[in-house]
Amino acid sequence: MRTLRTVAFIFLAAGSLAASEIHPPAQATAGKAITIQTSGSGDATFYLIGPAIASKSKVQAGSDISVDSDELQQAGRYIAILCASDGCTSADFFVTPAAANRLSFLVHPSRVPVGTANGISAVAFVHDNFQNLVLKPEPVTFSIMPNNEKPVSATRPSQNGVAWVRLTSARKEGPTKLGASIGHADEIRVVEQVAADACNLRIKADREKKDFEIETDPVHDCAGNPVPDGTVVSFTESDSAGKTTVDVPIKRGIAKIDMPIDGRAKITVASGVVTGNELEVSGQ
Amino acid sequence: MRATLLRYGSVFAVIAILLLGVVAYQLRATADDELPRVQLNANNIGPRQIEDLTSKSVPRDYALAWQTMEQALNQNQPGLLDGYFTGFAKQDLTQRVNSQIKSGLHTRYTDRGHQLDALFYSPAGDAMELRDHAQVDIQVLDGDKVIYDQPVTAEYMVLMTPGADRWLVRQLQAVNGTKP
Repeated sequence: MRTLRTVAFIFLAAGSLAASEIHPPAQATAGKAITIQTSGSGDATFYLIGPAIASKSKVQAGSDISVDSDELQQAGRYIAILCASDGCTSADFFVTPAAANRLSFLVHPSRVPVGTANGISAVAFVHDNFQNLVLKPEPVTFSIMPNNEKPVSATRPSQNGVAWVRLTSARKEGPTKLGASIGHADEIRVVEQVAADACNLRIKADREKKDFEIETDPVHDCAGNPVPDGTVVSFTESDSAGKTTVDVPIKRGIAKIDMPIDGRAKITVASGVVTGNELEVSGQ
Repeated sequence: MRATLLRYGSVFAVIAILLLGVVAYQLRATADDELPRVQLNANNIGPRQIEDLTSKSVPRDYALAWQTMEQALNQNQPGLLDGYFTGFAKQDLTQRVNSQIKSGLHTRYTDRGHQLDALFYSPAGDAMELRDHAQVDIQVLDGDKVIYDQPVTAEYMVLMTPGADRWLVRQLQAVNGTKP
């Protein structure tokens, strides 16, 4: 009987002296509360270390510890530490992202010439509500909404949290909307499609008293879009004295210049890499 | 004679202990200042090919980002994060440092190197996604008391974007990890 009592006492004493332990769930979801089980007894300190948190609180070893949802919003590695009179014990656990519901949408460039093959790139990074990168594949829908035309859309699965497409700009100038959507997120960006390089550049000359007035026809690109005002057109006059070039910006669709010309001269026109017709004029 | 030897011996021992202390302190300071070793593998990057200069600046700036992060978490100085972090990464780490200050904690890292795999480089060159296979020893201290000390092998998903003169870490998310 006495031996039995001694054995029971030893077991009880061993139980009360058992080292504290901490058992968080192996995995949790961002923004969701969890309960961490502990063992042991007596006053203890609980620490939670995560990507955006380092908290410390008094707890009772052996009781469950509740961790609020707002302490677990960032996905990543967390360390739960329990320090009691018998020392510290710890366990790691991972918080995975919640459902995909947000996008970071990058579109480049903001202005693109019409008809540029693969000239626009659209990249979407998939996030959950807490801005964690969602790494499992998710379908991202990209759409193009040109002015006065039917929208076109295509779905691409994300890979490592990224989905992307390359697009060719339209033949007609003007703004076009590009969208990307997932869950409740619907991001829109506007790309301005501008006329491409000038096409069929033509000039004509009129005598104005002593000078010649050289003027282009309305400057268009090859798709018929007017080249924007401010685009530089270069007029070059070649005569026996040499060569003179004058750069003129397009104003109200045309570029014009007054040139004093003595004797015979050739006048050529260019805009960027595009050259136009050549005129031969004869001054006084 | 024996007493004199004992006296000189104890003086010598005290000086030796002081010297060792100074050496240990210096070694720790050097470790803090040492740039973590980062190796970049850009063989599987796409859709844009990495430029020669970028392939040098990304691992350099990533190493500097880790160095400043480790210093910020050890010294509890959120301002150190300004140099190489931006966006969510900076926001989260600043929150972590402020939280450490409030709780009287700090975290000490011994960086054993990073294997960085470049996964995605946007067509416009304005974002790069990488996977970091990092090996670090982590110590968490409450005041001077070490409450956690573990070697950790962790995987991070990293998002970097170019700044004015460097690449900045925009997202740093641990996705996996084991204790070796």
